[in-house]
Amino acid sequence: MDLWLFVLLLGLVAIAAGLIGSLTGLGGGVIMIPVLVILFGVPFPLAVGTGVITILATSSTTGAAYVRDRLSDIRIGMFLEIATVPGALLGATLTVLLVHASLSNALLIALGIVLLSIVPGAIARRHEELPHDVRPDARSQRLGFTGEYHDAALDRDVPYVAADTDPALGVMFGAGFVSGMFGIGAGVFKVLALERFLRLPMKVSTATSNFMIGVTAAAGAGVLFAAGYVNPLFAAPAALGTALGAYGGSRILPRLRNRTVRLIFLPIVVLLAVEVILRGLGWL
Amino acid sequence: MAVTGSPPRAELPPEAYARMTLVLRLGLYLAVVVLLGSLTVYLIVHPGADSAGAIAQNPILGYLGLAGLIGGLRTGSAAAYLTLGLLVLVATPVVRVLSGLYYFHRNGERTMAAVTFTVFVMLLVGLFAVGPWVH
Repeated sequence: MDLWLFVLLLGLVAIAAGLIGSLTGLGGGVIMIPVLVILFGVPFPLAVGTGVITILATSSTTGAAYVRDRLSDIRIGMFLEIATVPGALLGATLTVLLVHASLSNALLIALGIVLLSIVPGAIARRHEELPHDVRPDARSQRLGFTGEYHDAALDRDVPYVAADTDPALGVMFGAGFVSGMFGIGAGVFKVLALERFLRLPMKVSTATSNFMIGVTAAAGAGVLFAAGYVNPLFAAPAALGTALGAYGGSRILPRLRNRTVRLIFLPIVVLLAVEVILRGLGWL
Repeated sequence: MAVTGSPPRAELPPEAYARMTLVLRLGLYLAVVVLLGSLTVYLIVHPGADSAGAIAQNPILGYLGLAGLIGGLRTGSAAAYLTLGLLVLVATPVVRVLSGLYYFHRNGERTMAAVTFTVFVMLLVGLFAVGPWVH
């Protein structure tokens, strides 16, 4: 395929990835990586490097909008980064070692399993608009993990407080590990930790996840750059398209209901999980 | 929504939100301009290039070191400018962390400042130590 056509198509796919990634907190890489591997025939390591760049583009685009609108919780996000960053460094390092050992297909299957594992919890909470009876733990009280945002869909200010910080830190370490390993924002795990353990509203969870994924991606980027996995001819159009799509998403999210946001990302996650598993098994 | 035993609100000044938004926007805009310009130039000066060739050879490998990057930028290499655009994108969240560190420190929040400083140091270790070590 001519390079200019390849770049154009990649940019168009990235717009869709950025839009969906910013709405759901997934970051865009989770869509771009399987698309690059399956549709464009890009080797997995290069797809991972491109995925990291799309996450950085999504995070900067949406982070700017969500921080301005106070939808991202800066304090909680920055606190949890202490767990995601070392996880990302470990994950990215392990990916380089596994690729050297020709275990790319095993990585794809593992990514699919990881994606499927978050589905049951999300289904269980599909009707929940806002969390109820949230009790802050000692650390949440000490560090003031509380906030308020204006919910345009509900047309009112919604107060919130963070609950269990210990399990959230553990999940965040895992999210960082997955992010570094697979080049995805691991937003699914970040949203899981923010929504399920800290008991934050879904929109605050996705916005804070979008805020955090850039730092996690930057941690893994050094390793992937050095390994030669970031190819600018894929990464540049992916970044440009993702930034455009993410900008659109950041304009839409405040107007959606929390339940709608959850409903958008569930089928996408399932579809992608199945695709990457089949690819890893060599059936696609 | 029921919030039980809500802790006292620890507020960063509105200026912190505005500055952090500015940092993210400036980083993004700069990266977009550099990437868009250099990608266009690259495609123009490589009219016969195809995707298989792009997969086979990564054009930025010679520009990952500081000396190579500066040399490439001086000679107007599109690949060097593509590398620069990607590096700006990577640097943006790192600068955002630094800006958070400044505001937590200024607000007298020692624990949050220490946490943010630790994150900043780990990012530097990842970018400048773990990467080259793995390579």
